[in-house]
Amino acid sequence: MKSLTKKILLPVLSLACSGPLLAQYTFFTPKDAFAIEISLPNSAEKRLPMYRNAITSLYVDGDRVLGGTTAKEGLSPYLFIASISKRTLATTKDLQEAVPGQKSIATGFCKGTGNQLYAGTLAHLKNNQQTGHLLQIRIGNGDAIEVKDLGTPVPGEGIFTLLSNSQGTELYGISYPGGRFFTYNIASGKVQLFDEISPKAEELKNLHDFASEPGGYLCKALVQDSQGLVYGSAPGNRMFAFDPAKKRFEFLKTPLPSVWGREVLGQVEAWAKAPDGKLYGGNAGDGQLFVLDPATKKIKNLGKPVMMNRLRALAFGRDGKLYGLAGGAPGYSHLFYYDEKGAGFVDLGNPEFKMVEPGIEQGILWRGFQLSTLTASADGKYMVMGEDEALSQLMIFPVAE
Amino acid sequence: MNSCFLNGLRSASWIAGLLLMAGTEILLAQPSAATDKHVAFIEYPDFPEAHSTWGSIGYNAASNTVHIGVTNHRNNVALYTFDPAKNTMKQNGFIREMANLRAFQWQGKIHSKIVASPEGSIYFTTDGGESREEYLMEHPQGYAGGFFMKWDAKTGDLKNLGLGMQYESLKDIDIDPKTGTLYGITYPQAHFLVYDPAKNNLRDMGRLASSHVPRVLFTDWWGNCYYVDWRQRLVKYEKDSDSLVFARESLPAFEGTPGSKIITGVTAYAKDEAKGIIYLVTYGAKVIAFHPQKEGIGKVEDLGGVIDTGEGAAWGPYVPNLNIGNNGKLYYVIGGHGNYVLKDKTVLVELDPATKKKTILREYPITTMTEATGSDIKDKDGNMYFAGRRVISVKDDSSAPFLIKFNPEKDIRK
Repeated sequence: MKSLTKKILLPVLSLACSGPLLAQYTFFTPKDAFAIEISLPNSAEKRLPMYRNAITSLYVDGDRVLGGTTAKEGLSPYLFIASISKRTLATTKDLQEAVPGQKSIATGFCKGTGNQLYAGTLAHLKNNQQTGHLLQIRIGNGDAIEVKDLGTPVPGEGIFTLLSNSQGTELYGISYPGGRFFTYNIASGKVQLFDEISPKAEELKNLHDFASEPGGYLCKALVQDSQGLVYGSAPGNRMFAFDPAKKRFEFLKTPLPSVWGREVLGQVEAWAKAPDGKLYGGNAGDGQLFVLDPATKKIKNLGKPVMMNRLRALAFGRDGKLYGLAGGAPGYSHLFYYDEKGAGFVDLGNPEFKMVEPGIEQGILWRGFQLSTLTASADGKYMVMGEDEALSQLMIFPVAE
Repeated sequence: MNSCFLNGLRSASWIAGLLLMAGTEILLAQPSAATDKHVAFIEYPDFPEAHSTWGSIGYNAASNTVHIGVTNHRNNVALYTFDPAKNTMKQNGFIREMANLRAFQWQGKIHSKIVASPEGSIYFTTDGGESREEYLMEHPQGYAGGFFMKWDAKTGDLKNLGLGMQYESLKDIDIDPKTGTLYGITYPQAHFLVYDPAKNNLRDMGRLASSHVPRVLFTDWWGNCYYVDWRQRLVKYEKDSDSLVFARESLPAFEGTPGSKIITGVTAYAKDEAKGIIYLVTYGAKVIAFHPQKEGIGKVEDLGGVIDTGEGAAWGPYVPNLNIGNNGKLYYVIGGHGNYVLKDKTVLVELDPATKKKTILREYPITTMTEATGSDIKDKDGNMYFAGRRVISVKDDSSAPFLIKFNPEKDIRK
């Protein structure tokens, strides 16, 4: 009977159905968007080597894009500069030459005074310590990348998160894996450490029960409001505000938005400051976009652009829309924008841009699956995205006026 | 992609399928008009809704058998064995039942070739094969991911060796016959996987392609595995160094070959171990003689285009198959996916690598043979095989699969 069912009934039922499914092979491909080949092994062209090129920090300075990468275990990361107008990789610098033993530049770049930029590193584990370094970076003549090692602000720990104040005189950061908050005075080099947001023993047990590692619960991004307060997340879905003048922490009354039972996943991993001073944040835990009003210190959950978790990057374009990267492995990143006055969330999906390089002058299409970073040029004209792959590339598109 | 068949021709085939249901092993039916003493078209029994094959074919030297994965191109895949000695085609069962797959682990097809270990087990991978595979993911109707699978030809047992990557299909597989290490390539992210079934050790070597996934992996006689990057450069997993080695130069391509062809890379291969050559066909219609080395990338020799019609772009013809005869000549079928060098016809071509002479041996209306896939499938008597497909209706995308047996020098009816 089973055989009869398989051989006769199921085919008959199959015949009873019809109607094509809709394929959805469309990608975000705006006019004048392009990809720059940053990574390629064994090439005559200047390129980054395999497994050392996951683009985890980006900064746009006029025509130049400064990138920082993350490497696989045992390998060191790179800094690089690409030109938007020339659509090419200009300069690379192996961080091993300046600061040995590092694994990742994932803090983004923070602006100091003048042309100085700052970034923090995560290190490879050595003698049971992960000693990351604070880097001062300057783009010199001929796109030369100059790196100065400012040492280790938190002994035995890496730098997971970094922010500079609006004057470019002080840095705020969170260490890895301990999650200690620190301030760094750029002029004096003085470091102050704070333990208010570090996870305590009970929290660590809870995090352990949920198989949550420091990379998944430490605050990944900080932001400063127009009054100078620094905001971030703490384990347990909490939000804090740090007053640099008073050296004091305050935990907000409204927590990060969450899905019931999944508060343990709360982690801010992106911020963007709107022209009106409101702070838009991304929660990695379940991928919610939220807005924090500094005047009331209240958080409003704006919802999720996609079903997945993660919201890795946010930046305002010159069209006034808030662009971001939602989702990620084991799925794909989706580029989206949030238009508060218009459509709300619009999921742009995977970008697919043309890549033209020596040897592939006819151009090929590059599809972005694992996009880890997105940043805007100062005028909001360009959105620059970096991939997190074994061979990662840059993807750039102009924002309509 | 939908696989419901409602036109007259397909209904006739369906009825024939019902009539054949009583047996699980059949002697071949009378040859169709397209067959002759050198070519046979062999149907698949006991699967009325069979739709297609997609390179899902391979040869098992231990048992001198050809294995084929046949799909309804929706959610059901049958595993077949053709025994040249007995001249029989047998359905061994459906993989979703043999591998205890649940409904949420549905598989659209086997897209990989079928490879054999020296002791006679065969291996393949599974593929979503549907739009919903790529976009629904964590949705209840989404795709769990493609599996590595091992089928014991002696016992008929199918063992599920586990997922490659969550939500990703596995488009192709190959094996290092000396160590049993399996290689896989995922879709749509084109991650190259190295899997040791003995230790259940799966390693993701990372993404290697751009916006398209080249479908073909192949190995050399040392067990190193090859793929291509987005510049159509060979990428070799070198087992001794346990690393990926990239060729400096791209494989040959005709001037003006579009980028979409370049990124698709190699479409088929055939090995001549005695001469130390692996022949390749590219999506840009080049035939290449590749001379692999144990260490590093070997010499690459351009044998020209797949056909010289004098019409159309040289990079245009589509060849997703390749075999090599005992006479050292290459055989392939040109055409498929709406791309034909003769109007509405597929052609079977012979290429002599020594002289580079190409000869069209057969022409088939696309209603008889729409497309053929498969690489390097030859039994111990020198008979070669392709996985064929004929489109029944373009409107509803219905088609019928069949096996092509070919020997240019012997009467295969004897």
